[in-house]
Amino acid sequence: MTGTPRFDELIHAPTRLSLVSLLAATEWAEFKFLRDSIGLSDSALSKQLTTLEEAGYVDIRKSFVGKRPRTSARLTPVGQQAFADHVAALQEIVARAGLAVLPDQLTH
Amino acid sequence: MTTPNIPPVDAELALAEVRARRAQVVDTNLVPDWFWYGIAVLMMLFVAAMESEIGWLIAVGTIVYALGLATLILALVRRARVQVRQELIGVRGALAIAGFTVTLVAIGVALGFTLDALGVPLPATLGCLPVAIGLAVGGPRLMSHLRRLMLSRPVAGPR
Repeated sequence: MTGTPRFDELIHAPTRLSLVSLLAATEWAEFKFLRDSIGLSDSALSKQLTTLEEAGYVDIRKSFVGKRPRTSARLTPVGQQAFADHVAALQEIVARAGLAVLPDQLTH
Repeated sequence: MTTPNIPPVDAELALAEVRARRAQVVDTNLVPDWFWYGIAVLMMLFVAAMESEIGWLIAVGTIVYALGLATLILALVRRARVQVRQELIGVRGALAIAGFTVTLVAIGVALGFTLDALGVPLPATLGCLPVAIGLAVGGPRLMSHLRRLMLSRPVAGPR
């Protein structure tokens, strides 16, 4: 998926950027993994995931392992595209400023 | 394009965060060194026990192997809390894994049969020795290779 530079305010918020970056590298990611990785409380993570879900960027799945509920999340194709576009926008900003040559621009 | 006037330094920092989070996922997924060492030791013990043709040794070897393997796999599953996106591994990663596996199997089988044909005692155990060394040494190197491969991919694709 190639990104067309499009800055996304929803993704760019620091916590959500971390969250979406994790999800972009995973298939389904467990709630606990996301919570512990980013260092959020359960309620704060739920809120961020709900925001992303309402934007159509994230799918949330609730299942049971034995009797224990397990919540997982993944980026939707819309979310993946938005993330790719956002990263492309960031890279364009950096490239225009001549700040750095990113590894991504050197490979592939 | 709708790009707000955010400072380039902030954009660079955001990209660094994206890369760091991907590295975090990749590192969580890599098979740790202890797993490779454990598999190598268990395999050697099991094959040696089988080849001994001593009843009680075969029984003990089988139990130790089964319990050891189950423990290793359970520990690995408990450690891996997230699955890396398949596209990050890609064809090159899959080929590296397949090549590693096929090479070790081919070496083990070929050496085992050759030693057996030559009448060397304990051909299977000796044949497994380079495979075990290959697992213990090559496994961690394979993981390093896969890590480099996954982290070298563009941060937002390909999908």
